[in-house]
Amino acid sequence: MSVTKAIHNYFERNGLALGSFLLFAVFFWVVVLIILPQLSMLDFSFRHHLPPPEMGGPKDVYTLEHYKYLVLGAPGADSSYNVVDLGVFGRTLLAAVFVTILNLVICYPIAYYLAQTKAGGFARALVLLLIIPYWINEILRAFAFRIIFGETGLINEMMLTLGLIDNPIDFIRANVALYAGLGYAYILLMIFPIYNVIESLDRNQIEAARDMGASWARIHWRVVIPYAKPGISSGCTMVFMLTAGALAAPQILGGPSSLWFTQIIYQWFNQGGNWPRGAAFAIVLLVTCVVIVLSMMRLFKVKMGDIGK
Amino acid sequence: MKSENVFLKILLGAYLILFFGYLLGPLLVMSITAFNSPSFPKMTPWECLTFEWFDVLANDERILNGIRNSLIVGTGTVILSVTMGLAGALILTQIWPRLRATYYTIVIAPILIPGVVLGISTLVFWDRINVMLGFSSDSFLHNGIFLTILGQSTFIASYCMLVFIARLQRFDVGLTEAALDLGATNVQAFRKILLPFMKPAIGSAAVLAFLASFENYNTTTFTFGKYPTLTIELAQKVRYGINPSISALAFIIIALTLFGALAHEMYRRKQQLALANGAPVSAVTGKGFQLPKFLKGNPAAILLIILTLGAISTIWYAQVHSPQQCILDVREQKRIETEKKIQAIKEKRRQEMLKKQQEQQKAAPSSNQAIESLAKVLLVAYSRLKTLKIMHLMVPPLFRKARRTIQVKAHLAAYLHRRI
Repeated sequence: MSVTKAIHNYFERNGLALGSFLLFAVFFWVVVLIILPQLSMLDFSFRHHLPPPEMGGPKDVYTLEHYKYLVLGAPGADSSYNVVDLGVFGRTLLAAVFVTILNLVICYPIAYYLAQTKAGGFARALVLLLIIPYWINEILRAFAFRIIFGETGLINEMMLTLGLIDNPIDFIRANVALYAGLGYAYILLMIFPIYNVIESLDRNQIEAARDMGASWARIHWRVVIPYAKPGISSGCTMVFMLTAGALAAPQILGGPSSLWFTQIIYQWFNQGGNWPRGAAFAIVLLVTCVVIVLSMMRLFKVKMGDIGK
Repeated sequence: MKSENVFLKILLGAYLILFFGYLLGPLLVMSITAFNSPSFPKMTPWECLTFEWFDVLANDERILNGIRNSLIVGTGTVILSVTMGLAGALILTQIWPRLRATYYTIVIAPILIPGVVLGISTLVFWDRINVMLGFSSDSFLHNGIFLTILGQSTFIASYCMLVFIARLQRFDVGLTEAALDLGATNVQAFRKILLPFMKPAIGSAAVLAFLASFENYNTTTFTFGKYPTLTIELAQKVRYGINPSISALAFIIIALTLFGALAHEMYRRKQQLALANGAPVSAVTGKGFQLPKFLKGNPAAILLIILTLGAISTIWYAQVHSPQQCILDVREQKRIETEKKIQAIKEKRRQEMLKKQQEQQKAAPSSNQAIESLAKVLLVAYSRLKTLKIMHLMVPPLFRKARRTIQVKAHLAAYLHRRI
């Protein structure tokens, strides 16, 4: 079998010490940090919520209790489905899709513009300006939006002074602040994949399309967007996953009546103290997001290898 | 054609302004609130220029502690994730082609897995290892710093790996082979050939890893234990009552970022300029320091100097400036305003009372007239409704409810008509 040969070759090439070190580092990362914790969480989510002394005891058996709870609600509840948690779950996913689309619409033009202008000082300054907000702490970015959208925030005060409104509008309750903040948080992750792809697009293609009389919109629809598809889907994937899994922005900017699914998970861990249930909810979130992303990638015929370019 | 171009240009300009307004506006607003005196961070109304929030920040024990923890965690994460990322990238170039796609998917996955999930899985996994090994609940496996470094490194290593892959694509394997042919050991070849080539990538990966670790919240919030990082402290402060000292911190971070970005830009610009002028590369990377030349055609450098001067003069001004008088004035003004408002409300109430009394006197004679005109309106409506009623018989039962309301109204109108 060629496995032994491959291993032999590998050590031949890297030497014993370096080769084993590389293997050890990758093993530690892939197995101990990535795979085992996920499996452990999966296993944990099928267990009863027990006090530490009873763990491993006779009561420590597998159960579907927590998944049932998510779908059906607490036993003996009024409605036959867990309307609250499922509602939050659905709303989170919908909002994540909404934020992703919004981000794509906002970011596509700027990515195109930056990629197609000649690399002058102006474009570089713009790129610099793009990166700076990304270096600021996520919490602080959310905080900034709270200052702007708060009841005595900038927008309300300005509109009151201009006489546009009589009473302050509660942007926080209406979730405007939340969507603005979430969209803001991941702009860069949408721009750069698209930018990278469009940058490699031959300008001649656009010129050719223009010479043949294609309109401005048609050039984008038929030439640029098909070419930029890997970048677009890569950006959308990242933004969607991060938005659905966001915790900071919903905690700070979310209205009192609207929860994010991650907040429910957080509550089971920190306030509810029911870790297995939190783990089960986290698994559901992870699996759903992965399924959505994979089906989207299949739909738009994009490969996994395109992500992260 | 030309008019369309102009239109597009205007559209583009407006879009750019809006976009960067959205991007930078919040940061600007937040920075400004750091200098305003109200104890809730706001920009309007502007009250007094004050530097006291920086004082509050500097004396905040929890924030300082958070910064300390963040630095420790950041250092650990940088070391761990740069090592793992580099190893991961090197293995990727050598791995059996059939395994390659699977391997790539696994190591890239942590970027896509929600941070919350990573934090939870790390916490659960090490907790169970701890139970399995029979350690007490305060062993190092439960230590917040240990867990946070592991949790963060899981996905930050993927970022690092992407940086390394990009660099490795330009690496000439022939170089290593030549070194090996000439009798270098594998470790020597690695140290003398590959590492120097990867050095810039290692630098940028380290910076990236540190920044990512410093600002991470989602993963850390599950793993920090007794060692809250700066981000965790900030989140708690923001969630439970905010004051402008957070804006002050934000301002400092923004200023540092701007500073770093400009310095980096200046350095690169300098290199480019020198290269364009035909200088050899060695002269560029050397640390020659010529002031007049280095400013020439280098807007980043000029901005940097202006920024530095601005910072120095601000710090100087902060020592001298005392907002006490202004704050007192504003407080006095506010008191007067409140009193005025109270007076106004009292006056309004009195007026309303008077009005009511007058109306009650007037009300008696005019009420008949009002009822008559109302009845007239209703009568017209009634006659129209009668014709409608026939039509309603044809409406499907779905609209029965609407029909009923209309009928009720019609009856009401008829009733009123009869009364008059």
